[in-house]
Amino acid sequence: MSSAGDYVVVDRLAKTFNPGTRQQVEALATTSFSVKAGEFVSLLGPSGCGKSTLLMMIAGLDAPSQGTINVAGRAMTSPRAETGVMFQDPTLLPWKTAIANVLFPFEAMGRPVRPAADRAGALLDQVGLGGFHHHKPRQLSGGMRQRVAICRTLVFEPDLLLMDEPFSALDAITRDEMNLVLMKMWEEHHRTALFVTHSIREAVYLADRVLVMSRRPGRIIEDIRIPFARPRGLEIGETVEFNEICGHLRGKIQHTPH
Amino acid sequence: MNERLRPLLLPTAFGAGLLLLWQALVVVFGYPKVILPAPSDVLLALADNFAVIWRQTVPTVRDTLAGFALAAIFGVGLAALLSFSRLLRDAIYPLIVVIQLVPKIAWTPLFIVWVGIGWPSRLTIAAFIGFFPIFIAMMAGLESTDRSLVRLCRGLIATPWRTFWLVRLPASTPYLFAGLKIAITLAVVGVIVAEFISSSEGLGFLILQSAALLRTDIILAAITVLCIAGLACYGLVHAGELAVRKWHGE
Repeated sequence: MSSAGDYVVVDRLAKTFNPGTRQQVEALATTSFSVKAGEFVSLLGPSGCGKSTLLMMIAGLDAPSQGTINVAGRAMTSPRAETGVMFQDPTLLPWKTAIANVLFPFEAMGRPVRPAADRAGALLDQVGLGGFHHHKPRQLSGGMRQRVAICRTLVFEPDLLLMDEPFSALDAITRDEMNLVLMKMWEEHHRTALFVTHSIREAVYLADRVLVMSRRPGRIIEDIRIPFARPRGLEIGETVEFNEICGHLRGKIQHTPH
Repeated sequence: MNERLRPLLLPTAFGAGLLLLWQALVVVFGYPKVILPAPSDVLLALADNFAVIWRQTVPTVRDTLAGFALAAIFGVGLAALLSFSRLLRDAIYPLIVVIQLVPKIAWTPLFIVWVGIGWPSRLTIAAFIGFFPIFIAMMAGLESTDRSLVRLCRGLIATPWRTFWLVRLPASTPYLFAGLKIAITLAVVGVIVAEFISSSEGLGFLILQSAALLRTDIILAAITVLCIAGLACYGLVHAGELAVRKWHGE
């Protein structure tokens, strides 16, 4: 089922928490799919369907119960340095400035920080934080913090971006804004990306392809291409085609058996 | 009253009032100076014996600070070590919590038997008493580190050492300073008790010696100096905390 050009190959992956105990939870049913290099894929599903678990396993931060994950031709057993992960929370270090937070991956990896300082500054400028390089996280709004987190994920030029509902804590207006920022950054840097969300519109707006997951235990019940050309503006959300796709996906999510 | 001066003025005024009342009671009822010297007598004793008291303050403060420093090194060191190994943590941490429940002062005579009657025993006792609050606070700080930050480090394939240095340690400094502040006051207690039991120098020794001579005025003068010295030590830790917080940009 995998073919040339597949960058992420998820093969018969399943996850059960606390197996053999009374708290046993089957989070993810046997799931297989693949993502091509340079493709932006949204993983869409209701809360608690195991989509975040799936993403964390691809990040190497959680171990599968069954099945294998291949990234760039190598089996995933532990986190890899070339993957950038964005979490639901910005997870910034509260005692570091915005730019120091963006540079944190270099410190954590033990790579020289100084040569990257210019790029970190440029990234912050690109997401509209030009005047906030030396602000601490608590001096920034929720949206600004997530922008810093985007820069931190991109600064070390990972080849794979894994994003776990990064904007779900933000209000609708800020969320639209963040989607625009993310699109702009992705179009410039063009990495393979997996984006987990429970927002249908967000999934469709961002992705080349949307995978829909069922309720727990999650499995993939739909896999569709999103045809809109890039760069995309927020106005594509007003088109009939966009809303038809959203309606189709909504139907899929609502009519899956529990 | 000025809102900014209030927290300073109010207790100062109240304390001064108490001292005046004390002075008045002693003068009016004519208590013997041996039992209850007036504040003015204490001040006089302090002025007259300043050289002696100062000479005894130096070893007390020195042993306190040295013992506190040892306590900090061992407390932070052991907590850091245990944060790296689940096995060591589960084996050692509960034991220390239990030992912690025993009154530490009770060990003092034992330390004197083991290390001798000089400054090494005073230092050991101060370090021993100060160790527990620092260790326990540091453990609490390290264990309360935001899990998502630790996961971020794991995703960035940071070594355990880098995770400790870059995230766990800075995240636990508020806890650490709470522990250090308790430890510095306890270190003074430890040194004074050790000086009571066996010593030929220090403010504890001076207090005990003055009690034998029924010089209550000198005892109170020594206690006054001890208060000031203790406050200064505490202030040192507090200044350290402010410096770290400033560095963290709060």
